[in-house]
Amino acid sequence: MTSETSVVGKSLPLLDAYEKVTGKLKYAGDLPAMHRMHHAKVLRSPYAHAKVVHIDTSAAEALPGVSAVITHKDDITGKKKTCGSPWHDFSFNFMGPMISPEVCYVGDEVAVVSAVDEETAKEALKLIEVEYEELPAIFDMEEAMKEGAPQVRPWGPNSLPPSLFEWGNIEEGFEQADYIIENRITLGNQQHAPLDRNACIAHWEGDSVSLWTSTQALFWIRDAVTDFFELSPSKVRVYSTPTGGSFGLWWGNNFMLLAIAIARKARRPIRLVLTRDEVQTTVKRRERPLIDAKIGITKDGKMVSQSYRHLMDNGAYGNKFDPYQSVADIYTTEHARVEFIGVATNLLPAGCMRGVGDLTLAYAIEQTVDMAAERVGMDPVEFHLKNHWKTGDICHTSQEVVFAKLLFNKNPTVELTSSGLAECITRGAEAMDWKNKWKGWGTPSSVDGHKVRGVGMGISTHISGLAFFGFNGITVKVNPDGTMALTTGIGRMGQAGDTTQAMVCAEVLGVELEDINVIDGDTEVCGHTMVTFGSNGMHMGARATKAAAEHAKEQILEYAAKHLEANPADLDIKNRRIFVKGSEDRGVTLKELMSTPIFEYLAAPEVIGSASKGVEFDKAGKMMMADFAEVEIDTRTAQMKLIKFVAVHDSGTIVNPAVCENQVAGGYYQSMGLSTTEHLVFDDETGAILNPNFMDYKLMGPLDMPDPEIMFEEVYDEDGPFGAKGIGEGVTCAVPIAISNAVYNAIGVRIDPPITPDKILQALKSKS
Amino acid sequence: MNAINLKINNEHYDVSVKPHWSLAYVIREKVGLTGTKTGCEMGTCGSCTLLLDGKPVFSCLRMAIDAQGCDIRTIEGVEEDNNGELHPLQEAFIQDHGMQCGFCTPGMIIAAKHLLEHNPDPTEREVREAIGGHLCRCGTYIRIVRSILNAAETMRNAQAGQ
Ligand code: FES
Ligand code: FES
Repeated sequence: MTSETSVVGKSLPLLDAYEKVTGKLKYAGDLPAMHRMHHAKVLRSPYAHAKVVHIDTSAAEALPGVSAVITHKDDITGKKKTCGSPWHDFSFNFMGPMISPEVCYVGDEVAVVSAVDEETAKEALKLIEVEYEELPAIFDMEEAMKEGAPQVRPWGPNSLPPSLFEWGNIEEGFEQADYIIENRITLGNQQHAPLDRNACIAHWEGDSVSLWTSTQALFWIRDAVTDFFELSPSKVRVYSTPTGGSFGLWWGNNFMLLAIAIARKARRPIRLVLTRDEVQTTVKRRERPLIDAKIGITKDGKMVSQSYRHLMDNGAYGNKFDPYQSVADIYTTEHARVEFIGVATNLLPAGCMRGVGDLTLAYAIEQTVDMAAERVGMDPVEFHLKNHWKTGDICHTSQEVVFAKLLFNKNPTVELTSSGLAECITRGAEAMDWKNKWKGWGTPSSVDGHKVRGVGMGISTHISGLAFFGFNGITVKVNPDGTMALTTGIGRMGQAGDTTQAMVCAEVLGVELEDINVIDGDTEVCGHTMVTFGSNGMHMGARATKAAAEHAKEQILEYAAKHLEANPADLDIKNRRIFVKGSEDRGVTLKELMSTPIFEYLAAPEVIGSASKGVEFDKAGKMMMADFAEVEIDTRTAQMKLIKFVAVHDSGTIVNPAVCENQVAGGYYQSMGLSTTEHLVFDDETGAILNPNFMDYKLMGPLDMPDPEIMFEEVYDEDGPFGAKGIGEGVTCAVPIAISNAVYNAIGVRIDPPITPDKILQALKSKS
Repeated sequence: MNAINLKINNEHYDVSVKPHWSLAYVIREKVGLTGTKTGCEMGTCGSCTLLLDGKPVFSCLRMAIDAQGCDIRTIEGVEEDNNGELHPLQEAFIQDHGMQCGFCTPGMIIAAKHLLEHNPDPTEREVREAIGGHLCRCGTYIRIVRSILNAAETMRNAQAGQ
């Protein structure tokens, strides 16, 4: 089913575009100073693992201009909870203490100072004397998992118990296979690296605290603060501004808690802005995977079994322990086993970054699938078309199943609502001219002297939110002139969440986008809204927005019915006007209706639509994508150049094509970074990050690669609002697969990202 | 502390600065014009770009104390320089979605403004070179470049129509 729409489907400008082009938009670091505000700086550990044996802050405290110093000894809540108490983020991204007597990675917090300005605070940091006792540190996942390995942090084993997903009978599955392909992959350490630097202002008024920050996780921050400081939610108010790019980075984080703690002690508003170095080395990074993959296929290229053991480097305080999404279901086989183990190391904590588990596991699956296709001599495009996931298939590894089991001891099934994978693959292959360019595995599509070219492809899927993320509470308030205010807790991070939610609202209410004012970013004003992650905004979030708009519409039609002396069921709204269906000249404009007294009340109507919606989890709307790459490698210099890139996405109905194109392009650039130059380098000896800046951690610039060809396969999803699914995270997932496979076909050696000239050189040497 | 006067967007500001304070820092923290962003504070992202005597510079690498007597133009002044109307570049960035999170946008617009003032009909390559030192982590380059090219065309047409 499709529907006629008048707002949805148009590349309308962003609601906040004017503020953005004039420099008026305030990010957290731009917020004006508050009266008596001081500035905080953090003293950080130079050791990957050590005990703070002794700490003397007296000289720092005595420095004129310093208002407070806090260390692990500080009593934070007044209920014997010290800074060293652990807290966990509900997203399973973090489980750790705020300022602990045992530091567990280079950059871990040791003390915080607040002072009249940043310079004085920095000066004071130098006056703090700390005596450390070094403890053994581990940087390697497999080392950390060994029996008798030194403990990474003061609690728990280094590796969390495995999460296991199993269906069919894996042994039998491999027995049925004619060939078994085994493979091990890893990826680099990517950092979210938004241009904006994390910042916040914290302020206590009596026993209530307010926090201003940029974030995609408004309510989870409120809940984390509530939890850690043992406050009632009514005592915590979080205001969020848009982020200058987030990609998973701007969630609940220790730096916010540090600001809140020291603001209480200093009895002043405190501002904490991280330096670029701190953003890169102390907030979060993408989990680095180490995956053993095994795929069983029959002679005719049918996948019959698959098993994956996915280790994830969580760093010191990362807390991931399951696949999070149903990535292994890219291919539905009768038998499968997926094991997922989160491992702690004394490195920068890791957590969600755009694409998360789908990106890592899909990479492992797809590399192995490429090898499997080679084993049976089947064109990869054909192999994909034969085996991929289809509408109505079961999502075996859905995290909802884990939660259902955990909370209710039930084993439900989750069904895929729609899949445009086949179309994505076919269209992409055509745009890449795959038929002519693909010459076989490890075989270049063309050779020009010392330059060889190769093509590669990859597919992936990604969730459009997960049910247990929670309910969305949305309101739509109609003004006397027919304009309206939409309140939503959606995070604004460049994904145009405010604009596209407003488009859904405008579509339902028959008004223009410009009629809608979005109010967001205030926990006291907005209804509880899911964290804007897992690409839930346009699928799950928008279902609540649509319901709230429909609720408002119902009221409008009731009042209009009185006004027009008609039956509400016979009415509809279009072009800001309510009319009788069938005799359209009988009608009233929304403005007139909303500003004219109704006889029964002697007053103009007041309309507030609202909805609080959770989502049933038995159906999963997943976005699908197929990417194709052509690369050129100079065999003399070992340089790789991308020649052509094609991305075909099924995100259901495309609500705003320009926004979605920007999303796909952004995912391509970021994942090209992951594939080639973006890699946090940890020092082997100390565990310190050696490239904490944009000079040495290279992001892709405007001259670094060709523009991708972007196409949408708009498969209407019955479960989504106006047929839409999410898009924001999936855009990164298939890029590294296509690149790696293209490199393999160009030079005949498989290389895992980051694909750097030195790795290419080694590969070329190993071949000759 | 040194008392200096900065001329920013044709307004004069008396500020006290330390010799090592960057121009970006002073403009943001002391003058309060936060449209100029500071993503890296080390000359690697371009978000702090402003016009200093007509030339685009990374203001995080300039000392405020040296900027006394210079003509400084920031993103906040772009509308004023265009008779209080949005500059064609700003219009184009809005219409063509030349932004996502918007953090790189002020720097991009300043760099593009300088380009179009000197080269009203740039090639795509020239546009990319003009913003070559600017990062957009959201990866919006396609539409940033398109915005600049479309603005150039609008400006040429306006010029021709005059
Ligand atoms: S802040 Fe000046 S170049 Fe990045
Ligand atoms: S739009 Fe986000 S950095 Fe360019």
